[in-house]
Amino acid sequence: MVDESWMKTASLLGAALSMGIGAVGPAYGLGYASSKACEGVMRQPYERNRITKIMLIGQAVTESPAIFSLLISILLLFGSIDNPSIVGMMALVGSGLCMGAGALGPGVGAGFANAAACEGVARMPEYETLILRTMLIGQAVSQSTSIYALVIAFLLKIV
Amino acid sequence: MVRISKNEKIFLVCVLVIEVLLSFFIKMDMSTIAEPRAKLLTIFGWQIPFNGINIATVLNTWVIMGFLVWVAFVVSRRFTPIPSRLQSLIEMYVQGFDTLCREVLGDKRGRQYMPLVSTLFVFVVLSNWIGVIPSFWRVFKGLPHWMVIEEPTRDLNTTLGLGIMCFVIAHVSGIYFKGFGKYVAEFFEPMIEIGNMRIPNLFMGILNIVGEFGKTISHSFRLFGNILGGSIIIIVISNLTKYIGLPVFLNSFFGLFVGAIQAFVFAMLALVYISLMVNE
Repeated sequence: MVDESWMKTASLLGAALSMGIGAVGPAYGLGYASSKACEGVMRQPYERNRITKIMLIGQAVTESPAIFSLLISILLLFGSIDNPSIVGMMALVGSGLCMGAGALGPGVGAGFANAAACEGVARMPEYETLILRTMLIGQAVSQSTSIYALVIAFLLKIV
Repeated sequence: MVRISKNEKIFLVCVLVIEVLLSFFIKMDMSTIAEPRAKLLTIFGWQIPFNGINIATVLNTWVIMGFLVWVAFVVSRRFTPIPSRLQSLIEMYVQGFDTLCREVLGDKRGRQYMPLVSTLFVFVVLSNWIGVIPSFWRVFKGLPHWMVIEEPTRDLNTTLGLGIMCFVIAHVSGIYFKGFGKYVAEFFEPMIEIGNMRIPNLFMGILNIVGEFGKTISHSFRLFGNILGGSIIIIVISNLTKYIGLPVFLNSFFGLFVGAIQAFVFAMLALVYISLMVNE
């Protein structure tokens, strides 16, 4: 019904949507966290090592929605195409859109948690491990929504 | 400033030349990137149900388990008052998880759940790190199955199995410590109060039950997505740069750093889910 080139078009569009929209949220979150870390270093320059450490660990978790977007994007770019039909085409575009839009919120939210942790370490450096643990749990839970988007994007890609 | 001797320079130049020469022969099929490499479909002519098993996952899991048992055996044979390097490493690890669990669960129950949480952490972290060992299956086709090295956590079966295990442990210990009635009643909080009567809130009950399954799904898919994404990014970018230089840095970030953080997050979330069920 639909030939291969239309399916390829749909998967390219899906890949572009996934990574393009999905980069917005994590970028905002990462930038916000690093701005708060700058403020923290300005307030307590002697604690710069601890603040940088917690910023980097938090940012590695914050950017996991972006990694999910990249994963879906690469799968759409290089993946094999089966089920050539209108439904399959829409599923490919929808897969990219789902992951891209789903990465917006969790990226920003996890970045907020990271920023607050940087501020906290600047204010109370001796409670570093407690703050780190709380930040990791909070970030992990706040990213659940991007994981649900990932699951649905996988299902759409397979169907 | 790092000083490089003459022999080391010769070695580095040789490695670089061999890499560049090899890069002309590397051809990868990008369309099967996310699929398991070593699928076993039949054993002695008998068809395996559920679309075959991923033999690489099973073998790598057994390698990791054997390594852990071996380390535990070697260390626990000879404890000394003045610890050796390996013993002090293990002591630091056990003590860290002991204080962590006792802070979250209290002194008595923390000791009970410490082996579970610390074993989850060390198993998941080794599963994430085994992928940085270079193996040639990404380059050459037709290697035997047992030579494939890939992360067991790259397979959804492993992470979903661990997630369901944590789910069952949390709920069974919730029933055990609180009693069945209180355990069920907690799902319907907050109760609707009319006069003296307390009626269970059915709407909240449905939301809480769906939320419990959502917890397990996000718990296992978080690990799976991060590790699969990292390994696919490593493969694609290494393939674009023809395996010269860059894979080292990619492996150290996506393999070692993200792997360690995700393993810690996995173990901590298991601990928190158990504590939500156990604590009053």
